[in-house]
Amino acid sequence: MRSPAQERVQQLLIIAIIVLAMLWVLFPFYWAFVNSIKQTADAFQPGLIPFLQFDPTFEHWQTELAIPETQRAMLTSVILSTCAATIALVLGTPAAYALVRFRFTWISNTQLMIWFLAQRMIPPVVMVIPLFLIMRELYLLDSIWALVLLDATFTLPFPVIIMSQMFRELPIELEEAARIDGASPIQEFAQVALPLVTPGLVAAWIICLAFSWNEFLFAKTLTTETAIPLSAIIGGAEHYRGVLFWYVGQRVLLMMLPPVLLTLLAQRYIVRGLTFGAVKG
Amino acid sequence: MQTNQQMARDIRLPMRAHRGNDRIKHGFLVPAATWVLIFTLFPLLFALYTMMYSFRFGRFNQFVYANNLTRMLGDKNLHNALRVTLEFIILAVPIEMVLGFSLAILLDREIRGKHILRTLMIMPLFATPVAIGYLGITFYYERHGPINVLIHALGGAEIPWLSHPIWALISIVLIDIWQWTPFVFLIALAALQGIPLDLYEAAQADGCSAFQRFRYLTLPLMIPTLWLIVLLRLVECLKVLEIPTTLTRGGPARATEVYSLFTYRTALGFFDLGYATAQGFLLLAIALLMISVIFSRIRQLYQPESRDL
Repeated sequence: MRSPAQERVQQLLIIAIIVLAMLWVLFPFYWAFVNSIKQTADAFQPGLIPFLQFDPTFEHWQTELAIPETQRAMLTSVILSTCAATIALVLGTPAAYALVRFRFTWISNTQLMIWFLAQRMIPPVVMVIPLFLIMRELYLLDSIWALVLLDATFTLPFPVIIMSQMFRELPIELEEAARIDGASPIQEFAQVALPLVTPGLVAAWIICLAFSWNEFLFAKTLTTETAIPLSAIIGGAEHYRGVLFWYVGQRVLLMMLPPVLLTLLAQRYIVRGLTFGAVKG
Repeated sequence: MQTNQQMARDIRLPMRAHRGNDRIKHGFLVPAATWVLIFTLFPLLFALYTMMYSFRFGRFNQFVYANNLTRMLGDKNLHNALRVTLEFIILAVPIEMVLGFSLAILLDREIRGKHILRTLMIMPLFATPVAIGYLGITFYYERHGPINVLIHALGGAEIPWLSHPIWALISIVLIDIWQWTPFVFLIALAALQGIPLDLYEAAQADGCSAFQRFRYLTLPLMIPTLWLIVLLRLVECLKVLEIPTTLTRGGPARATEVYSLFTYRTALGFFDLGYATAQGFLLLAIALLMISVIFSRIRQLYQPESRDL
């Protein structure tokens, strides 16, 4: 066996690697934050430590948050992603339940599952052109509801995957007991199964929320003025006067923090959600 | 291994017998299925129709048969976009796989910082790609940007991150690595922790060295998962759009114009909608081909195990 000294060296090496990995992961977030609190004069100096290398200020946050365009975009993004996530969850959860608890004869359950998962395999750029034309015919361009419908569609796989796994892990005896007590299938679903999978519901909702919030292609294509969400504003930002570091920093944080922080709450379900249930986290 | 159990369950517990309750079971499924039908299948069919037209001023102009398809054969810019996407995949995916998998193996043991690291590693996954690309402009800034300052301090020459064709591609790949190595890591770690410990104990009792345990135990058990990660990464890489859009805008020249960006520009820059649709279908075909090849591979890998069950 190894000597204690060797053991210790190995431990130190691993800790060093962990620290390096953490720095690597956190650097962009920190960089954005630092830039957002620098004064204009300090912005192009690569100082990283507030108070020591520069005096921090929140004036850029105040200016940015006071811009009506930003406020509207934030509101749009919030409404958009909550509505889309809720629709996806409302549609996806019963479907997941049906896929686990009932057998379908006209198509097999596996085929139905693949049908739902295929949504995430289709490159969105294939869909965006026909959808653009359709939405134009329906006078739904520059409407937040068009985006809600589409984001709900493309995040639908997440509730289907996550919830079908949750239901599968649920002992069927509970629902059988309820049935003996005279519950209808709908009651079994709504009053017995659903309350038991609440954590999964919340996680699926958060993941849908994050994906809709981050969605860019449809947001950019289908909006022109009143319904522009935050992602399209950032993606469409031109910088004629050079890059304004402080401005980039806080816009980026405004955009990234909600999904990043929210998904930390859904940690346990992320791996199975992203691998279509093939690997359990 | 997971799929195994699922398959076993599917056989064991074939759905409850709510006989005569067809209406109810369809009631659960039909809303979602119809929704997908309306918003996915219908647009795709509509796209097939669009593909056969030429457009003028964003309106249907003329039926051109398969002209939009044959146009792709001679389009140098399209070939360039395909090449850039391929280069992107070749650079990004192997590095992400190796980095993520090695990190997962290193951390698949009792270490104190592990849970914090796992939490932190989720952060890049959900960081908005457009925002990261936009932020990239600042940290790749060539004069006094943090990375070049660091390189300068270490005695290297400043790197033209965004203005040199090759470096621009590398910049994009680096961001992709930043964002997706955690994905490989998280999945690989989850799968590693699913390997039963007694297998390792047995191997140790038989006198296997650490390397042998890795080579003959961990690796074979992990290969299906690794293929799955490769598949998911490849599909995502084909879709890549946001980071080149904000970071380099496809430039310099067309050095980072990935396929999706090229198609997006054909469609909404030049309003050549029929042609753009044809391009979209080519990408879809490539994606489907890749998925079916790798998926059949994964199935082969899973099959021998399920016989043991």
